[in-house]
Amino acid sequence: MAEALFQIAEPGESRAKHACRTRAVGIDLGTTNSLVAIVDAGRPAALADEQGRAMVPSVVHYAGDGRVVVGEDARDRLAADFPRDTIASVKRFMGRGRHDAEATRKLTPYRFASVDGHAASDEGVVRFAVAGERAVTPLEVSAEILRVLRARAEEALGGPLQGAVITVPAYFDDGQRQATRDAGRLAGLEVLRLLNEPTAAALAYGLDKQAEGTFAVFDLGGGTFDVSILKLENGVFEVKSTGGDSALGGDDFDRAVAEALLARAGAAGTTDAHVVRRVLDAARAIKEQLTTETKAAIDVALAPGKTTTLRLTRDEMEALVAPVLQRCAPPLKRAMADAGVERGHLSGVILVGGATRMPLVRRFVEEWFGQKPLADIDPDEVVALGAAIQADMLAGGAGHGDVLLLDVVPLSLGLETMGGVAEKLIHRNTTVPCGAKQTFTTFADKQTGFDLHVVQGERELVAECRSLARFTLKGIPPMPAGMARLEVSFMVDADGILRVSAREETTGQEAAIEVKPSYGLTDDEVEKMILDSFAHAEDDVKARLLAEQRVEADGIVAAARAAMRDSPEMLETGEREEIERALGGVEAARGGSDHHAIRLAIEALDHASKPFATRRMNRALEQGFRGRDVDAVDAKLGGR
Amino acid sequence: MICWSCQKQAGAGPLCAACGALQPPDDAADLFAVLGLPARYAVDLAAGEAAYKDLSRQVHPDRYATADPRARRASLARTVQLNQAWRTIKDPVRRAEYLLTRAGIDIGGKQPTPGGDEKRTVEVGAPPAFLMEILELNDELAAAQRKGDTVKVAFMAEEMRARARETMKTIAAALDAGVPAQLHEAARSLVALRYYLRFIEQASGQEAKLEGGSGAG
Repeated sequence: MAEALFQIAEPGESRAKHACRTRAVGIDLGTTNSLVAIVDAGRPAALADEQGRAMVPSVVHYAGDGRVVVGEDARDRLAADFPRDTIASVKRFMGRGRHDAEATRKLTPYRFASVDGHAASDEGVVRFAVAGERAVTPLEVSAEILRVLRARAEEALGGPLQGAVITVPAYFDDGQRQATRDAGRLAGLEVLRLLNEPTAAALAYGLDKQAEGTFAVFDLGGGTFDVSILKLENGVFEVKSTGGDSALGGDDFDRAVAEALLARAGAAGTTDAHVVRRVLDAARAIKEQLTTETKAAIDVALAPGKTTTLRLTRDEMEALVAPVLQRCAPPLKRAMADAGVERGHLSGVILVGGATRMPLVRRFVEEWFGQKPLADIDPDEVVALGAAIQADMLAGGAGHGDVLLLDVVPLSLGLETMGGVAEKLIHRNTTVPCGAKQTFTTFADKQTGFDLHVVQGERELVAECRSLARFTLKGIPPMPAGMARLEVSFMVDADGILRVSAREETTGQEAAIEVKPSYGLTDDEVEKMILDSFAHAEDDVKARLLAEQRVEADGIVAAARAAMRDSPEMLETGEREEIERALGGVEAARGGSDHHAIRLAIEALDHASKPFATRRMNRALEQGFRGRDVDAVDAKLGGR
Repeated sequence: MICWSCQKQAGAGPLCAACGALQPPDDAADLFAVLGLPARYAVDLAAGEAAYKDLSRQVHPDRYATADPRARRASLARTVQLNQAWRTIKDPVRRAEYLLTRAGIDIGGKQPTPGGDEKRTVEVGAPPAFLMEILELNDELAAAQRKGDTVKVAFMAEEMRARARETMKTIAAALDAGVPAQLHEAARSLVALRYYLRFIEQASGQEAKLEGGSGAG
């Protein structure tokens, strides 16, 4: 009651802004770019950096001195000079093994480390060998990206977070999901939920547009392809089926283009990491240019001192990319069949992911579904916005009505049985959370242990499914063969992650389970990483923010001094003193260790020098355009 | 049942009658009862779906993401059971199988009976003559597929679909007849139906689904 009266008595909007805001965020951890979004005053919005950029390139650079650089700088500057130490598209390695297709590709700038204990086996997690004699797992690389997003969100919300919803491709298997959740924990986030990307997009879209009916979400990102069929009705978002390919995306288009460009330039099969990085970047730039243009050309240094101009027309690119794009067709067909929906009966097709900007992809979707796809929400942001809505709901945010998300298991889960056959316990497209039980018996007298192999996939044979983990059940009471009855329970939680437990039925004794993930880290390994990072995590984020602000301070101080040196005549009385005072403030703050203080000092300097800077700018413009006709000046100004 | 939170009588619903805390489910509960439906083949699927969604809104883990760990566990277990119930009941074949399992008739299904009594279980197999017929049809189908005779393949699939639909009707009638002897008839038909569905899958290359199969209320 007091609360309500207080609300009425409070005329300002400050209360609405702060009290109605949960401190939970949505994170789209993408192959190419990542974003963080929050719900503020009832609407989801992506958080931008000081330059207004919401997207953080998912590129992580490891420097020789132990520093880690994430984002634009890593992508635009460091990747070219240090291709081996600058990891891009790490998402494609999440939950993958050292012998997976991704790690054994010819066209890769990376070097993989072999690590004791895993080296002898076909299984085991991928590790990148980077500067400073370090070997980092994809999980750790992803955690670096998440730390940057967490710092951005904490800055915006002015304090620690309640938790985060992190999105994953719907078609991610159990190992990929676990790796993502562990990366979140390593980055110091309370992971409230892993949310499937197409479902996140549908949530953002459905709530924004008040959409009802059966929709297909076509999500083609940098590295993954997902399709989900959802029924939207009275606030219920029910996934009917999902399908995809967790190794198909814009990266594969780049690779197809890059291979063709290299072949043309007579450099096919190069293993020079610098050349590979440059050609992959050139292919991406050409692909992006060809979204709006019909031809593109770009200069690339293929050998020291030898620059080659690579040219491509849109038609040529489409011919290179079309076979890759065709790989979307079988998952689309199966998802529609699984949902029991005919192509003509969809209310709409929602486009998600950067690759859906390509005209070829849009034509493909339109032809396949026989209707024009919807892209009214920015396909780069829609997933993060949906995740923010889900995070707000989970954290108890008001105003979401009766929204209910019902998602599914993307791939069947089973156990290896006699003869290497995979017996499915949980079938694909079963609504999560879900469970299943299976009873086994011992085959030897006094047998006290039991080995189980958990697999995921649709194929009949274990060898053709994804190996998730091997379990050893121990502590079965000694009994004659066939007497012990072991009940193995599978349970898939709302994150789509499997938990296995076992019980000996006749005695009721819980069997201890020892997990050995096939392509991941054990819980102990992850715990150790988290403990190690705990001591440093806070410091790391602060150190990075501090370093960034110092660089900016140096730049602005140098620029201001140069301007005063160049144009002393433009300073008005007392202005020099005022700017000097502000400069002194920046320099003093730069020497401290508080990044906030530096930021404030920079703003003060900006403020003090603004009239002077404006005068200089005006004069430069006047001089630059003197003698030209007015229309040309207008055109030039308008164009910028 | 005593509530884990307030230590008072929790009552029969998902939420404690005294304090409103979410209670863990009864693992042996009947799946029809979970959705508040009568245990029979002819169910009102629209009512089932409405109940499923209403209950989901109450017990789903999304509602308990930041709650007490005990409430979170209860939410997970409740939702697993609820999803299991709706998945079983909405599908005509799984619903029929479950009704037989409840009655103690095992048709080689892999899901164990919740609270089922093994000694009562009666196993049902397919008669040899039936198996011979199916084998012959499979050979015929395989031959047509080898020859690329798509018209014949489609025709055989369609014929088998008609047969499956007829069988489903027989099963429905037998299950709701209320005569124990007819349950065995239903079980035998259900065994036959599985062969038909596998045949349709092989012919069409897709999972076979039977539509509807429900009567009103």
